[in-house]
Amino acid sequence: MKSLLKTLSRMPLAISLCLIVTALTVKAQDAKIQMAHLDHLASRANETVDVNIDERLIQLAAKIFNDKDEDEAQIKKLVVGLKGIYVKSFEFDNDNEYSAADIDSIRSQLREPAWSRLVNVTSKREGNVEVYISLGGPQINGLVVISAESKELTVVNIVGPVDLEKLAKLEGNLGIPELGIKPAKQKKEEQ
Amino acid sequence: MSEEYLWDKSGEPDPEIQQLEQILGSLRYQPSALELPTETVTEHRKSYLPLLAIAATLVLTVFAGLLWFSLHNRAPKTGVTKVVTPAVPEVSPKVIPNVMPKSDTTSDTTSPSEKKQSTAQATVPRSNKQFVARDIRRVHKPEVVPTEEALHAKEQLMTALRLASEKLNLAQRKAQGPASPNQIRNQHKIG
Repeated sequence: MKSLLKTLSRMPLAISLCLIVTALTVKAQDAKIQMAHLDHLASRANETVDVNIDERLIQLAAKIFNDKDEDEAQIKKLVVGLKGIYVKSFEFDNDNEYSAADIDSIRSQLREPAWSRLVNVTSKREGNVEVYISLGGPQINGLVVISAESKELTVVNIVGPVDLEKLAKLEGNLGIPELGIKPAKQKKEEQ
Repeated sequence: MSEEYLWDKSGEPDPEIQQLEQILGSLRYQPSALELPTETVTEHRKSYLPLLAIAATLVLTVFAGLLWFSLHNRAPKTGVTKVVTPAVPEVSPKVIPNVMPKSDTTSDTTSPSEKKQSTAQATVPRSNKQFVARDIRRVHKPEVVPTEEALHAKEQLMTALRLASEKLNLAQRKAQGPASPNQIRNQHKIG
């Protein structure tokens, strides 16, 4: 009888834990946006990059990262908690191959309060760049980057806890030439 | 006839009663010690249970003894582990062949006394060698053989991260904007 009462007294705790886990999972899944409607641009594009990596594939890839290699170890740390990475990038030969509706269909999914726009740069000459983040408490739950240039459209969606600083630092470490952008603090130190 | 005789044989006896007494007198109770028949057949039920219990106990004792003996005999071999354990992971596989006694080469050239020494020296490292081999197996995890799927996932992951990092930096650069000459001058003044 006592054990039954004990079990019953623990039930609310177990249920609330289950609910929290479910809520967190749902929240993480919310950070994934639909990009399938951009697929029609592939036929017009000169070059297309389409990446769909779910959590299982991320874990699979993380296993073969070499921990002794500093760069790979950093990348492993960055991706190990992620739930998914989805990228669609199209490079066109001519201007205006994609429409504003294509971008709006992405933007419409990134509404407050789930999403907040971190950066929005509009330039007629260089194109637009928007960065959205989904916050779950103090942590970033998801990231969306929309880069719309005259001959290029790129949408990046990262689902899960992302460290923006670490992600930004990856440029130059993965065989990409560094663009020479340094944080203000670092610049001051160098001066 | 008086009834006194019937009660305590004090009165005048009745001849009929005396006759009856004589007839039944042979059947009178005569107190005597119990005589047991000398040839008594006693049927003993033979019970094998105690014997079986004793036999089982003996078998178990012997088995336990053998088990303990075999374990106890193994203990000194593994006992080396306590001494050598910390150094084992640093032992390179190249060291192991040097530890091995070169019985073929030394047997031809060395004297019997030297042989004894060499064999005595060889016995000690042999146990270490066994230990090293065993411990290496325990310490070193089998290397993960990357599957095609994992390699593909890693490649996709790297591509996605490259693009994400590149676009994030692009957004950062555009958000910061080109530094005006006045700002630089002001910075110099302050610094």
